[in-house]
Amino acid sequence: MLKRISTFLAAALTCAMVNGPVAAQPKDKVILMLNWYVYSEHAPFFLGKERGYFEQEGIDLDIQEGRGSGVTVQAVAAGTAQFGYADVPTMIKAAAKGAPVIAIGVALQTSPMSVMGFTDKNIKTPSDIKGKIVAVTPGDSMSQIWPLFLKKTNLKDTDFQQVAGDAQTKLNAVINGQADLLLGYVMDQAIKLQDATKKNVYPIRFADYGVNLVSSGIVVNKDYLKKNPDVVKRFMRAATRSLEEAAKNPDAAVDAMLKANPKSGVKDSALVGMKATAALYKGPDNPNDRPFRAGSKNMNETFALLVEYGGLDKATSGKVEDYYTNDFLP
Amino acid sequence: MATNPRPLWQRVLFSVWARPILLVVILLVLWDVTIRLFRIPPYLVPAPEAVVGQLVGEWPRLWRESLVTTYATLGGFALSIAFGIPMALLIAYSRTVESFVYPLLVFSQSIPKIAIAPLFVVWFGFGIIPKVICAFMLGFFPIVVSTVAGFKSVDSDMIDLARSMKAGRLATFMRIALPQALPSLFAGLKVSVTLAVVGAVVGEFVGSNSGIGYLLQIANGNFDLPLMFAALVVLSLIGVLLFVAVDIVERLMIPWHASHRNDFTATA
Repeated sequence: MLKRISTFLAAALTCAMVNGPVAAQPKDKVILMLNWYVYSEHAPFFLGKERGYFEQEGIDLDIQEGRGSGVTVQAVAAGTAQFGYADVPTMIKAAAKGAPVIAIGVALQTSPMSVMGFTDKNIKTPSDIKGKIVAVTPGDSMSQIWPLFLKKTNLKDTDFQQVAGDAQTKLNAVINGQADLLLGYVMDQAIKLQDATKKNVYPIRFADYGVNLVSSGIVVNKDYLKKNPDVVKRFMRAATRSLEEAAKNPDAAVDAMLKANPKSGVKDSALVGMKATAALYKGPDNPNDRPFRAGSKNMNETFALLVEYGGLDKATSGKVEDYYTNDFLP
Repeated sequence: MATNPRPLWQRVLFSVWARPILLVVILLVLWDVTIRLFRIPPYLVPAPEAVVGQLVGEWPRLWRESLVTTYATLGGFALSIAFGIPMALLIAYSRTVESFVYPLLVFSQSIPKIAIAPLFVVWFGFGIIPKVICAFMLGFFPIVVSTVAGFKSVDSDMIDLARSMKAGRLATFMRIALPQALPSLFAGLKVSVTLAVVGAVVGEFVGSNSGIGYLLQIANGNFDLPLMFAALVVLSLIGVLLFVAVDIVERLMIPWHASHRNDFTATA
């Protein structure tokens, strides 16, 4: 053990001294699987990779695109990817069903969920939704929290019409006027709608009406965490730096993302998306915390909402502390 | 066969109808044993008893949604027949039509339906029409291909014989060509009807307020794998039932064909 520590210290020292690509040093190869195809929300990780934050921590980071948080969580549970960037409430639901995963950092402390439509439709408050058509994706996290938003804003399901379709159909429906509104993220669908039509989009944020759940975060396989606590700590150190730097310098973050993935967006709107994302890093608990630190009040509220609306079984799902930890944050 | 000396339980166990059920039971046992043996966690593959539990518990809902999917499937299948068979006849009997249309047809078939399915919702809305069209897109091609093959492989000596006996074109078609083409036409129909089920679900995945595809999406979002598998079982059952239905029609229409003669197995 002592020998291992000293080797590690020596390695760390060499790393610190050379401060750059160290060819001789074997790095820990890790895969970070994203929740979706690359878009502005993911820019910080590309910035961190480009600036060498991960490399300096001895991590060879491979960022892979995902196909929805659910799939990403399953991949992490099965060990296909060591780290996942996924919707934390989705992860909690999977973990409650037995998936060996845990959140080690919550990036978006304020919910990006919103119901949005084109600004020219003049839908600015929940009561404007009456008589309109709303597009939702059945089974996704937003469609599950939607009833709570309706309850908090005194709307009934009979006040409006609802159509259901997959992620693309939802966008198409609003673009083509088959629906007036869709349930989406302020830094994702809002940008996509604007890019496609050059029209402004007005999101009514769930968080502004007392419906706040934590959103995307870093999830990790529990076995992997047990065996490699040190890699996880280093990973989170680099990830925290990445988020902090991206919040300060969104321009560079977007550039790094577009350089790595030229097809992942348009500079201007990606920049708007990155700024909107960074605005969600601070939670209601302690606005002075560094990124990824989950507040207990925020987590408890999220958990309570999941039990009440998200299909989480109260009897078998334990307590929220089983699903996240701040122990690996810098 | 009537004087079968085997005891009743053997006759039941090895009867044609029991065999697939027997295989299903064996597969279920294998599934259960594999899960227990390799400790496959339920969030990756659910246990068969959990799936059966959902199948029973959620039956009213599964039944309701499967009706929706069946309607879309049948609609798509009917369209496939209505367009596929005339199209196949044109291709089989006209070299000009064949050279114009056939390559394009093959080309269109290689387009992944899931990629264009969202457009159907844009064009035709959230009702049943986009699902019917998806089912049609998948079910159409096998009918055309096998019907063309059926009519092209009609014995030309037989046609000559009919002509020499002064049979008109219609009579030749009805008495010689059609009966000879029917077996491969039905082969195409059977493939088509099972693919139409897939097409309908693809349509429901993309945009729908009901149907098995919609249920699958919800189950997926909740990590309810048992419900998801139960929905898949129901979906496969729809496919099997429709396949059997086509098979029965086939038996009625071409009872003379080798595949339906009971003595076939004896002589083979």
